[in-house]
Amino acid sequence: MASFLAQFQSIKTSFDRLIISVEDVSDLWHMVKDEFERRLPFKRACLNSKTHNPVYVEKLPAEFILTTDSRLRSRFPQEQSFFWFREPYATVVLVTCEDLDEFKTILKPRLKLIVQNDEREWFIVFVSKAHPNNDQATKSAKKIYAKLEVDFNTKKRERCCKLDIHGPDANFWEDLDSKIMESIRNTLDRRVQFYEDEIRKLTEQRFMPVWNFCNFFFLKESLAFMFEIAHLHEDALREYDELELCYLETVKAPTSKKREFGGLEHGDDQAALLNTCNKPLSLVVQDDSFREFEFRQYLFACQSKILFKLNRPVEVASRGYSFIISFSKTLALHESMLPFCMREAWVISACLTLIDETSSQYSDGTMPSDLEKEFYRLRGDLFSLSRVKFMRLAYLIGYGMEVERSPVNSAALSMLPWPKPAVWPVLPADASEEMILQYNPRAKLFGIQRRPLPLEPSALLREANRRRASLSAGNIFEIIDNRQSFTDGSGLEASLKTPPSNKFHGSSMTRTNSSPGNFESSLDRPMRISEIHVAAEHALQGTISDPDLWKSLSSPQNFEKKYFELTKGAADNYHHSWWKRHGVVLDGELAAVYHRLENFDLAVKSYEKVCALYAGEGWQDLLAEVLPNLAECQKVLNDQAGYLSSCVKLLSLDKGLFLTKERQAFQSEVVRLAHSELEHPVPLDVSSLITFSGNAGPPLELCDKDPGALSVTVWSGFPDDITLESLSLTLIATYSADEGAKAITSSDATILKPGRNTITLVLPPQKPGSYVLGVLTGRIGNLRFRSHSFSKGGPADSDDFMSYEKPTKPILKVFKPRPLVDLTSAISSALLMNEPQWVGLIIRPINYSLKGGLLHIDTGPGLEIEDSRAIEIGTYNYSLQSGVNNPNVDDGGNNDPVTTEKFTQLTLMDGKIELPDWAGEKDSILWFPIRAMDSRATRGTSSAVPQKPSIVDGMRTIALKLEFGVSHNQTFEKTLAVHFTDPFHVTTRVSDKCSDGNLLLQVIVHSQVKAALTICDAWLDLQNGFDHVRHGDRRPMSSFFPLVISSFSRAGILFGICLGSASIGDQAETLKRESIINIRYGIKGDRNIGAHAPVSLESEPGIKEQNLVFQSAFVLQRPVLDPCLAVGFLPLPTGGMRVGQLVSIKWRVERLKAEDNMVSSDNDEVLYEVKANPENWMIAGRKRGHVSLSMKQGSRIVITIMCVPLVAGYVRPPQLGLPDIDETNVTCNPAGPHLVCVLPSALSSAFCVSA
Amino acid sequence: MASTACFIIVSKNDIPIYEAEVGSAAKKEEAAHQHQFILHAALDIVQDLAWTTSAMFLKAVDRFNDLVVSVYVTAGHTRLMLLHDSRNEDGIKSFFQEVHELYVKILLNPLYLPGSRITSSHFDTKVRALARKYL
Repeated sequence: MASFLAQFQSIKTSFDRLIISVEDVSDLWHMVKDEFERRLPFKRACLNSKTHNPVYVEKLPAEFILTTDSRLRSRFPQEQSFFWFREPYATVVLVTCEDLDEFKTILKPRLKLIVQNDEREWFIVFVSKAHPNNDQATKSAKKIYAKLEVDFNTKKRERCCKLDIHGPDANFWEDLDSKIMESIRNTLDRRVQFYEDEIRKLTEQRFMPVWNFCNFFFLKESLAFMFEIAHLHEDALREYDELELCYLETVKAPTSKKREFGGLEHGDDQAALLNTCNKPLSLVVQDDSFREFEFRQYLFACQSKILFKLNRPVEVASRGYSFIISFSKTLALHESMLPFCMREAWVISACLTLIDETSSQYSDGTMPSDLEKEFYRLRGDLFSLSRVKFMRLAYLIGYGMEVERSPVNSAALSMLPWPKPAVWPVLPADASEEMILQYNPRAKLFGIQRRPLPLEPSALLREANRRRASLSAGNIFEIIDNRQSFTDGSGLEASLKTPPSNKFHGSSMTRTNSSPGNFESSLDRPMRISEIHVAAEHALQGTISDPDLWKSLSSPQNFEKKYFELTKGAADNYHHSWWKRHGVVLDGELAAVYHRLENFDLAVKSYEKVCALYAGEGWQDLLAEVLPNLAECQKVLNDQAGYLSSCVKLLSLDKGLFLTKERQAFQSEVVRLAHSELEHPVPLDVSSLITFSGNAGPPLELCDKDPGALSVTVWSGFPDDITLESLSLTLIATYSADEGAKAITSSDATILKPGRNTITLVLPPQKPGSYVLGVLTGRIGNLRFRSHSFSKGGPADSDDFMSYEKPTKPILKVFKPRPLVDLTSAISSALLMNEPQWVGLIIRPINYSLKGGLLHIDTGPGLEIEDSRAIEIGTYNYSLQSGVNNPNVDDGGNNDPVTTEKFTQLTLMDGKIELPDWAGEKDSILWFPIRAMDSRATRGTSSAVPQKPSIVDGMRTIALKLEFGVSHNQTFEKTLAVHFTDPFHVTTRVSDKCSDGNLLLQVIVHSQVKAALTICDAWLDLQNGFDHVRHGDRRPMSSFFPLVISSFSRAGILFGICLGSASIGDQAETLKRESIINIRYGIKGDRNIGAHAPVSLESEPGIKEQNLVFQSAFVLQRPVLDPCLAVGFLPLPTGGMRVGQLVSIKWRVERLKAEDNMVSSDNDEVLYEVKANPENWMIAGRKRGHVSLSMKQGSRIVITIMCVPLVAGYVRPPQLGLPDIDETNVTCNPAGPHLVCVLPSALSSAFCVSA
Repeated sequence: MASTACFIIVSKNDIPIYEAEVGSAAKKEEAAHQHQFILHAALDIVQDLAWTTSAMFLKAVDRFNDLVVSVYVTAGHTRLMLLHDSRNEDGIKSFFQEVHELYVKILLNPLYLPGSRITSSHFDTKVRALARKYL
């Protein structure tokens, strides 16, 4: 059957549509041909799939061929059975007849003959040539067609249709289409059935010796091909898949005979995996099967052809990738007999072909996005696979130095085994030995000495020499194993025909004497690396038939170009897919190329992408590879900012990744740049390098307005000490976001040691709240830097990204304003007026040190500080203080037990005193002498109208201002009220009137102070008109002095006085209108309580406290003993008074006794004066004037005044006074009314408005 | 025991939080880079695969010549990745499961910040012991 292969192949290329044969019985085809062919291709044809499901084919191409056509006639019957798929799928019998007899006698038998062949699907088209106007002809045609239907239609199937040439009938064409379709469908079903049966029969023989894969292939592919031309692509694909499966099983079957693999012909290195017509199958057939190399590619090509027809380029790529991988493995198995590096060359060309082909078939935007991504991913894979293989080839021929020794290349190449040819290519005799440069690592910036990553799985030199010399036993066995397949005897294997025993011999010798001297023989002399490269190049030239590929390997420049192209292709495609990492990594490779080509701009751009990826994901080992390159490019570009930040990143990588020397080089670069003239100084982010945190423990706590010193821990990641010209740290308030961060600065140069440093910063007063650390900024040379990261505890995890997310601990708490100190008065009761007195002031710090505090004392009016005495301060003990009843309480002396603990004397300077240090922490009491002044004389009051002295008079204020805190930033102001009072309050009373006219004047003294008062002496200076009973002796009647009066108690002193002549006496004494009581007293009090002995006396204890003199004035009123005139208020008119009503008020003045010795004796006139409240009364008439009143006793006069009351209610009436006459001589009898009733004015109708 | 094996735990933010060369073969200096690189590149594939299955053990996701990358994804999307050359899938699965348990214990430590580097030497010892046992 294999002999038909060539024919099959040619049929397949030429045959591309279904055939419908036309049996032109009545020679009509030329008339209807155009109409028929206009129906092609068939639209929306309904066919059955292999599983008998209806499949709609949008456009089914077909061809009408006359049965008389040579293409159908020339076939041999045997061929027909082989290539059944190309036989007509339907037969149209074209007939016409105008005469019934003719139909019966001639046409019908002929038709019967034609249709008797059951294998054909046929139907009859009756063409009526009758003109519609020609009734006769039409009728006859109808009759004949009816006859035809009767004869050929069966119940199951109608096989006739009628075409009127002159009267086109739309129905006919639909009828024709459906009949053709039905025929095709039936034919297809039948043929599928046939092939299936045949295939099943063959499959049953699968494991028998008669099994022939070629036959199986023949049937299977015929079936697949039939499906393909019927546009049942899914079915066709399934057939090919099954075929491939079957073939692989055949190849892998352990019983299978050793067959030739193929791939040895020129051009085989160019993959034909998408080209079905690469090689005729008849050339690759081998016994009962095919050569694997060509056949598998052929099968894949068939599959992809169908997949492309199905518009599934993604699947082509995906199947293609796995095919390349698996086929490459197959190639590896046969590598020893394939040309040198055939496998690599094949993979490269396969990948590139696949990429080109799928891309051209792929149209953008028609696929769902995930499929599209998958497609790009596959293309990326294909590109990177071809890239790896391409690098391998290049490395073999000595372009190793052009290949960047990056992790991706190293990972790809160092684990990819060397090609394993049976024998390594030898140096051609005519080869001029060119020197190939060895890999010379580019001198890296910062002097980074790193072992270059390997690009070879094992040393090429050893591998090549080992393989070439075939010195190892392993190689020998390999050769022996494969010996039978070398029967082809290509030139390469010629050398292998040496008897294996020889080799064994050589091998054993080498193994026993492993000195290099044994390689001295011409054959086995080890090749030098350059020779290996030359030999490989030479061998590759033989292998690679693709001129493009060879060209790209011909020079380093071309290699680089191709390498770049492949890398870029891979990177771009990965970027379009989900696999960003792959893309970015390959970008790094592109960057390396740019770098080498000194295209630094592009290199930087790509390197930055790679670094961002690695840095973002924290893969430091990988970052350490790329970052120095980036830094180098940035340096060349003079991108200072970028370069600095790269240096910082390098420094902040794990310490183990670089040597200390290298890290020092990084640092010195940073420092050098920082101190140079920076063109565009930008803040450098050193978050990863310099980290900071607050000290452990509770946060620093400060009171409002207090400055402080904040201690922070700064971790330096620099390998050496580094000098920071300035350093500042912002604090961020946690309570409000809008509050700007405040910076605290240390302008001094700070030297950071590597590792942990503790730095103390001066903290100005902050607003209340709690603060966390914000940003650390500073300068190195001219370079400003900033760091945002808090270190958790050490540099080990300072690069940890999580440090950003750490809940930040408050570093500083500034409390809300609160009272920090309290100033209170120590005295609870009044002090002595006009005497120097101690005022106690308790200074009580409230959890705050008052150290260095300054107290301003500002006395208010009527108060002054006695400068003569020092101010005393002592500790204040509340418990002692509360025990007032301490018997030891002395008179406020220096040995006061309250102040025994600490005591200091202070002096007042400009109204300020400085508190002693010890007073900073403890409560203290400050005593300062003060004198309240009151120039007014104290007045006694009558006991009849007892009046308490007003407290307000004795009130004085002291304004206090305390400045404290570290820099006197805190102030506390308070105004203290201090109450001063006289020691006594005096009331008087005439206690008794003796029969002899003497009066007993009782002077009652009230003690006003909380102190014991001792009255030593008292005397009375009387006013005019009074006299002492014992003339000259102004002392009290009895003497009990000294008299002690305890606090707030009273004592009375009796004086005997008598009325003196008021008028007589010398002129000087007329001034004494008041009596004055003089009391000499002493005081004994505790200054902690209140009044005490005056300050000035304390220093002179000898004088004692008895010399104080208190004076109080009071007025004694003479009794009315000598009335001359009487004034009487005459009754008011009845009916009461009304507002606005004129009323006359009358007084009667009567002379009680004759006036003979009056001063105003020249006339008998008396001066009167009426006093009235002008708000209440309007007075008409003379308010003041003289009335004549005769000097005789009993003379009387009535004074009348007209008044109008202005206010309703009880008001005080006008009063009549007689200013010229002493009150003592006037008696009011009866006394005038205190109040009179005034009614409201009568309603006036004039103001009423009638309703 | 596998001659080459590199075990790495990658946090859900793609950051390696634990690395260990657990192979029995002598450690090559340059191999670490390669292993890191391969595992890093395999993250692309894990990203695709992780959501296609409900199983935590993704088996071998990537092959690199002789080396295979096996991955185990925890519920929190922490990936345990092993680069190895052995073919003992059951052993690898057990290894992953036990390491997962260890990792959960690490997570339970209130002082451990999820996503940060695992520095516990106890964890390291245990992981190496498990590697000796299963790989």
